[in-house]
Amino acid sequence: MMLTVFLQQTLNGVILGCIYALIALGLSLIFGILETANFAHGEFYMIGAFIGFFSTSLLGIPFFISILVAMVGMGLFSTVIERIAFRPIVGKPLINSMLLSFGLSTALANLALFLFKADPRKIESGLNGIHFDIMGIFMTGERLAILVLCVMLACLLSWFIQYTKTGKSMRAIAQDRIAAELAGINVRRIYSITFAISGALAAAAGTMVGAMFFVQPDMGLTVTLKSFVIIILGGIGQIKGVIFAAILIGLVESLGGGFISYAYKDAYPFILMILLFIIKPEGLAGGGK
Amino acid sequence: MNKAIKIGIISAVAAILLVLPHLFTMDYYLHIFVMSEIYAVLALSLALIVGFSGQVSMGHAAFYGIGAYVSALLSTKMGLPFWVNFWISGAAAGLISYIIGKLVLRLRGHVLAITTAFFCVLVNVIMVNWIPVTNGPMGIAGIPRPTPIDLFGYRLVFETRMHYYYLGLLFVAIVAWFFYRITTSRMGDNLIGVRENEELAKSLGIDTMRNKIFAFSVGGALAGLAGSFYAHYILFISPVTFTIGESINILVMVIFGGMSTLLGPIFGAILLTILPEFLRMAGALRLVIYGVSLVCFIIWLPQGVWGSIKNWWINKKSSESVE
Repeated sequence: MMLTVFLQQTLNGVILGCIYALIALGLSLIFGILETANFAHGEFYMIGAFIGFFSTSLLGIPFFISILVAMVGMGLFSTVIERIAFRPIVGKPLINSMLLSFGLSTALANLALFLFKADPRKIESGLNGIHFDIMGIFMTGERLAILVLCVMLACLLSWFIQYTKTGKSMRAIAQDRIAAELAGINVRRIYSITFAISGALAAAAGTMVGAMFFVQPDMGLTVTLKSFVIIILGGIGQIKGVIFAAILIGLVESLGGGFISYAYKDAYPFILMILLFIIKPEGLAGGGK
Repeated sequence: MNKAIKIGIISAVAAILLVLPHLFTMDYYLHIFVMSEIYAVLALSLALIVGFSGQVSMGHAAFYGIGAYVSALLSTKMGLPFWVNFWISGAAAGLISYIIGKLVLRLRGHVLAITTAFFCVLVNVIMVNWIPVTNGPMGIAGIPRPTPIDLFGYRLVFETRMHYYYLGLLFVAIVAWFFYRITTSRMGDNLIGVRENEELAKSLGIDTMRNKIFAFSVGGALAGLAGSFYAHYILFISPVTFTIGESINILVMVIFGGMSTLLGPIFGAILLTILPEFLRMAGALRLVIYGVSLVCFIIWLPQGVWGSIKNWWINKKSSESVE
């Protein structure tokens, strides 16, 4: 019985961790390439979830295409945000980008609260009818699909960064912005693309969470903080490290919530982080900045 | 000449501050004044950490909250008077910030900011969930006012906002003096050294870690004192006051005024306590406007109001002298 609960929570933790990975990867890209801490990232995720919600409920678009709609919508929106708010402060001290993005986060979250009110909404994926039951471990078709989709998106992202020309430019800028500029890379274009990718990944994650749990205007801030913990643990700019750390956080939250105390589940990532700082200050994957 | 002018300005400001509550006697104004005083202490205490030692902390509201809760619990559960609680809560917040500082201050930049932010979340989660002690989201009510004190046969009572205003004024004055003494001492120079170039400071034989921990613990302790004052002024505390949003709010006050000065944080605290009051008529959109103005402020005045005015002045002078 205990074992079943354990396995169930582990599975939930892995799924949660995969979603966290999508969010944290986007944040890590912005962090690595623009050297900007984006505290409004959780709001990108929240707005993405709302786009997904309205796309399924108002327009009746199927769940998977809605994820795509949310990704495209949020990709465009985040390039606009980058252009208006973040570009003027690129290269300025860190505290500026932190405060600016925090202001952005407050504005977006409260605007969403004003427009959509606080009631939780659920995205209907239409996949809850299908479910599997293996040795008492319960798995819906929806969760399986989300798991597969997360893995696909993460693979697509690492392929993109590793092999395409744009991806290579992104890595070049992350290493040395001035050298990259001298080599003829259009840095501004890459900034826009980075924000678009980051927003799109957050929107995909938001829509998935909206299907599994709820969509709410205040869902962003905790997720932003957790994503920061993930990229600190995983090492900034390290895709594998980030994914690993995300799954670890997902597991800690899920198992801690199941076995220790659910009320304190938001505190576990912090405790884990403090412990890791004491034991292994260089991050899980080592290196990083 | 300079000294005479300085003394003149200081006594003029002091005179204005002393008669101010008699000009604006409405409770509403007095409340804003008292809150400005509390925020001035918080902003000064954070300026010691951010402006002088250069370590960005996003968890200041946690120490503020710890001070408030310690004080509230001591007075409601053990019946101790404000005058005792005040010091105990400062010491408690200082001790906790010493321990946290020791753990996290070897981190730098973003990582430190995020870690302290998460510390704030942790403290808030504990306030909400440790119901037997903190009474959870319901908060602690019925905190007593400071007991009257006898001073040279003169009885000082703390009943109205006017009394709190004068007590707060004394509090701010002492903290400001303390801040001035620290920042103009050798310690202050060391802290600036740490901020400007930690490696260089280290190579000159400054124990940078000890200096950073010192600034962090003193800042935490002062925030704890402010928390205690807040608890015994509002007489009710709940976790919603001590969120990460409040930490950011204090940080913005410090930046808004210009961080490495004495007057900057005080100026920022007063302005950012008064300005949002004008937004009350915007109702639900209040925080949207606040967020957007923060964005605009960072884009246009990244050095703070004080610093920007100073820069503008210096530029103007230098261009005049060129002509």
